[in-house]
Amino acid sequence: MAVATAVFVAALFFTQWWDFTLPSLGRADYQAVFLANGQTYFGRYYDRLGAYVKIEDVHYLQQTEGANPDQAPDTKLVRRGRELHSPAARMLVPRSAVLFVEDLSDASPIAQFMKQDRQ
Amino acid sequence: MSAYEPERDPVRVAGRVLRWAVPWLVLPAVLGIVVSGNVDVRSLPVVGPERTTAVLLLDGQAYFGHLDDSGESGTLVLRDVYYFQDARGAPTGLPVGLVLRGQEAHEPADGMRINRDKVLAIERVRADSAVARAIAAERALRATAVPAISLNRPAVAGRDALVPQRAATEQGIARGFTAAVDQLAKLNELVLPVSTGDAQAITEKALTDLRTVRRSALGAVAQVLQMTAADAEAYVRTTDAQLERSSFAADAGVLLAPDLYAIVTRASQLYAQVGDAAARQLTQATPPASAAPATSPSPATSPSPSPTTRP
Repeated sequence: MAVATAVFVAALFFTQWWDFTLPSLGRADYQAVFLANGQTYFGRYYDRLGAYVKIEDVHYLQQTEGANPDQAPDTKLVRRGRELHSPAARMLVPRSAVLFVEDLSDASPIAQFMKQDRQ
Repeated sequence: MSAYEPERDPVRVAGRVLRWAVPWLVLPAVLGIVVSGNVDVRSLPVVGPERTTAVLLLDGQAYFGHLDDSGESGTLVLRDVYYFQDARGAPTGLPVGLVLRGQEAHEPADGMRINRDKVLAIERVRADSAVARAIAAERALRATAVPAISLNRPAVAGRDALVPQRAATEQGIARGFTAAVDQLAKLNELVLPVSTGDAQAITEKALTDLRTVRRSALGAVAQVLQMTAADAEAYVRTTDAQLERSSFAADAGVLLAPDLYAIVTRASQLYAQVGDAAARQLTQATPPASAAPATSPSPATSPSPSPTTRP
């Protein structure tokens, strides 16, 4: 019985740590995830077993209209988490909602911003 | 020729190992994986804090509630559902208002089945977020009973947490009143087809109606807060006098509990009706006798079934 309990607890915590994510060697630190509704999230993308993929440290581009309508809207990169529902850092996205995923190069200003934002 | 030794027969040995390993190793491991896949150890069922989930849909809608995603049917089930309603232009100071699902015209029962193919993302709602606080306040207003044993125990706000909700509701009612009064003042600055005396009479009547709307809204707040009749009367009298001198234009908005949000939006609608009626009279050569519709904001108004804004 002690062995069974130990195996159960070990499996439970291993799976919590693992989170069903699949290893992907040689990929960049951050990815851009393009979604079916036209929205793009930036963050650390993880493929998972099951119906969902995972994005951590999610950022997105937010456009705000200036006072002058003739000027282009101001665009800034925002970390997800400060919305009214204060979402946790882990976002699950159904595979069916993902159009495609791209690695961000180290020189990408978005990747550099996210690295600095994480520190 | 060696004698057959059943104890060393590899098939029998493998059978013995399997008979031991399946119940004591394989089954606990599978059980641990299944439990872990459906449970967040940071908020364990029964004893842990409430787990509220945000389900964002492809069409831009956002729903909040208790998520059951354990099945393989391609459908998520969300219970105790709240959603955002477009509140741009409302006097709450926020672009969205929170609405409890179930009060629409078709009165849906609890348990919303969502096609996973239409889901954009799933996020955990933090317990200290504005949404979680508004939901907990709503449960306190409705005196929601918390079951002794629950896999996802709903959080109910204490009476202290209702104080900022009540203050924000009063501010919303006051902002709507101020906006309607400002609108009347701007109308009176125009060259009107009615005489000055008639314009003054119409404006005075409209202001009286606007104050009636404000008092009715405060009465609805007192009712939602379950005040006694005497307390409610005193509350309406004192708060109405305080709001007469305040505009709260610079105060930050608070996401209101749905019942309180309904009072503010209803009051706002009635302010607009009073203002429109006065505007019609002021811009017509012969003013009609009546200035405004009856005024009684109620928290039981039915919101639109279509939430429009994602956070």
